[in-house]
Amino acid sequence: MIPVVRAEFLKLRTTQVWLWMLALAVIAGSLIVVGGLASDSVHTPRDVPDVFANANGTLLTAFVLGVLGITTEFRHQTITTTLLQTPSRWAVVAAKLFTYALVGLLYAAACAAVQLAIAVPWLSAKRIDFTLSDPDVGRAVFGPLLLFALFALIGIGVGALIRNQIVALVSGLVFILVINNIIPAIPVVKNSYAYTPAGAVTEILFPAHESTPGDVHLIGSGGGVLVLLAWALIPALIGAGYSMNRDIT
Amino acid sequence: MSAPGGQIVVDDLTKVFGGNVRAVDQLSFSVEPGSITGFLGPNGAGKTTTLRMVLGLVRPTSGRATIGGVPYRQLPNPTQTVGAALESASFHPARTARNHLRIMCTVADLPMQRADEMLDLVGLHDAARRKVRGFSMGMRQRLSLAAALLGEPQVVVLDEPANGLDPDGIRWLRGLLRHLAEQGRTVLVSSHQLNEVEEVADRVVILNHGRLVRAGSIAELSAGTDSVLVRSPNLQALHTALTGQPVTVEPVDPTAVRVRGMSAAQLGNLAFTAGVELHELSLQRFDLEELFFSLTSGQ
Amino acid sequence: MIRLIRAEFLKLRTTQVWFWLLLATIAVGALLAVANIAPHDGIRSEEKVPDLFATFAASPAYILVFVLGVLGVTTEFRYQTITPTVLQTPSRWAIVTAKMITYAITGALYAAVALLAEAAVGVPWLNSKNIPVHFGNSEVQHAILGTFGVIALFGIIGLGVGALIRNQIVAVVVGIIFLIVLENILLAIPVVKKAWPYTPNGGTQAILYTHGDATPVNGVHLLSTWSGVVVLLLWAFVPAILGAAITMNRDIT
Repeated sequence: MIPVVRAEFLKLRTTQVWLWMLALAVIAGSLIVVGGLASDSVHTPRDVPDVFANANGTLLTAFVLGVLGITTEFRHQTITTTLLQTPSRWAVVAAKLFTYALVGLLYAAACAAVQLAIAVPWLSAKRIDFTLSDPDVGRAVFGPLLLFALFALIGIGVGALIRNQIVALVSGLVFILVINNIIPAIPVVKNSYAYTPAGAVTEILFPAHESTPGDVHLIGSGGGVLVLLAWALIPALIGAGYSMNRDIT
Repeated sequence: MSAPGGQIVVDDLTKVFGGNVRAVDQLSFSVEPGSITGFLGPNGAGKTTTLRMVLGLVRPTSGRATIGGVPYRQLPNPTQTVGAALESASFHPARTARNHLRIMCTVADLPMQRADEMLDLVGLHDAARRKVRGFSMGMRQRLSLAAALLGEPQVVVLDEPANGLDPDGIRWLRGLLRHLAEQGRTVLVSSHQLNEVEEVADRVVILNHGRLVRAGSIAELSAGTDSVLVRSPNLQALHTALTGQPVTVEPVDPTAVRVRGMSAAQLGNLAFTAGVELHELSLQRFDLEELFFSLTSGQ
Repeated sequence: MIRLIRAEFLKLRTTQVWFWLLLATIAVGALLAVANIAPHDGIRSEEKVPDLFATFAASPAYILVFVLGVLGVTTEFRYQTITPTVLQTPSRWAIVTAKMITYAITGALYAAVALLAEAAVGVPWLNSKNIPVHFGNSEVQHAILGTFGVIALFGIIGLGVGALIRNQIVAVVVGIIFLIVLENILLAIPVVKKAWPYTPNGGTQAILYTHGDATPVNGVHLLSTWSGVVVLLLWAFVPAILGAAITMNRDIT
């Protein structure tokens, strides 16, 4: 298993997608933090957590990276070599899950480091107390470590399930960006929002807010983590057990 | 070299695509170690599908294929057991040739310098750090070969390896295949370039419409197929002279016949004694292409 | 040119992308109608009825047509069908123009389908709530025409981005992330946010909402309707022109 994981890291390192996605995540996340700090909505320590939590849009980079991590192999037919060397589809998918969870974690760490480097001096200039040991701040700054890893896993799962690069990306992004946001407004299904990726992100990053979209029922941040794990692992299991076994022609 | 027993056995293999396209139909044959086997058939005969089933990439509708008695997907060290070069396009365009092989080395737990050794072997030393995007067809083909031979496998499976190679490259490939077979490896090469195969293969498996047409050694297939082309302005006299001889005569054109069962020297002597004027007397060697067309046409 | 456009329509019809994206358009249109009417803060009076018809173009649903446009040109590079295309029609300008017209028309058709889905769900529902829907109402007409314009223009924007970038995945990912993530970031940053009205989303909002100056978005005032149209036209034409002049002329190998 370890050689397969090492090979996955090498695959990632030897093309440039990771670099562009990382740049996008770091720059976009920093801009959101700058925007939050520069706006006149941050006055007290209680306003600080949302400055970081609002950068959650950058999670999409981890999702895209995960989807590409597996669909690129089908796109360029390197999957043939991969499966000839590692015939077990389970091993291939497991190695990718492990690799991309770790990469997601590193992305989040890089984002958090840059965001803190911007926010700490700025907040102290504004004379707003800032401490990472505050549970709400800690959650907003370090929660993304978990979230990036989970979104990278979801990307791998969706990619393994769908195989086709453009279909996986477009349907994934349309679901997360369009459909997921309509759900809380629809009466019958709105309580399922807690079990969707966007709902779970809300659970984890904005637990204190009473005004969740559409006043939907939420299930707590531990539940949110489980929800995202399910969104990652269920497609990954179906992918490894079924899609990856389909004929490679 | 890994464990012995690199025999490929294809047993009653059938693949039906989309419910009605029988790409491979009850195909059985075996490929022996220490020899080069040519896998022949016209386009769409099912060669690539068969190879992909042997390699566990396409799931057979029925039947099975084994390598050394084991289905590909259960091999413990596939890279060190079987080396396969399937399509020239299976590379990430933005990755260098060297990195492609280094990834394979990592999975197979081979030392990284294997990658450089193989690039030297296939003549890609100078292109090692270039992205595959800019590679010619022939360079991709060489990189595929390097990937196939990376783990010094007992079994080598190559799909149309001569595609895109220049005449020098083809000669080099022939030498390489011969060398591999002499080391006792099993070499299975699909091709439609029959002359290349005839020159290098010990055995051939001929496929058409997904079915086995003929399998055997070149020696078996060519036995008794040599003939002599005789051209004469007076074929009538030649026919008379041949009457009663143990030969078969078949007309080629109005001034020539093909004679089997007698050497050129015997025929020349016979014509000389009978006073028949000859304009051509030439030995016609076994021709795989001709055999191939006679076996695959009209089916 | 007519033959080129007909060929483009044939290319579009003979693959399945249009079908799946159309299905998504119908589904999203219907869902958006539900989401606009069902909640407590949904449409409860006649003045809010135009929202029902503006919602498809106002929400990120426009990315469905954007993606269609991007794929319309990048698929040719992806599968190298661009080679026969430029061999038959060596002028890159002619190719891009034909595609722009094709995808603008296709975008308008998708807008029509989305509006029909919204009307099919929304009109009977609103009537049952005693909220009349008058298609003669100028604001309703504005929302409907605005949707046609915005969605058709997003078809061309997608096409231009595709022609400019050529690489399918890069074009789709960059396009979607720019439209949905980066533009919102722009809107959140002081000073820089003054540029937001000139972005595709800013232009879209200006086209769809007549009460622009009265309701600033996040403190930024929208442009007038026609200025919004000009903004979207620029976003549609500048990448398409750059694409036709530069990237489409790069070596096709």
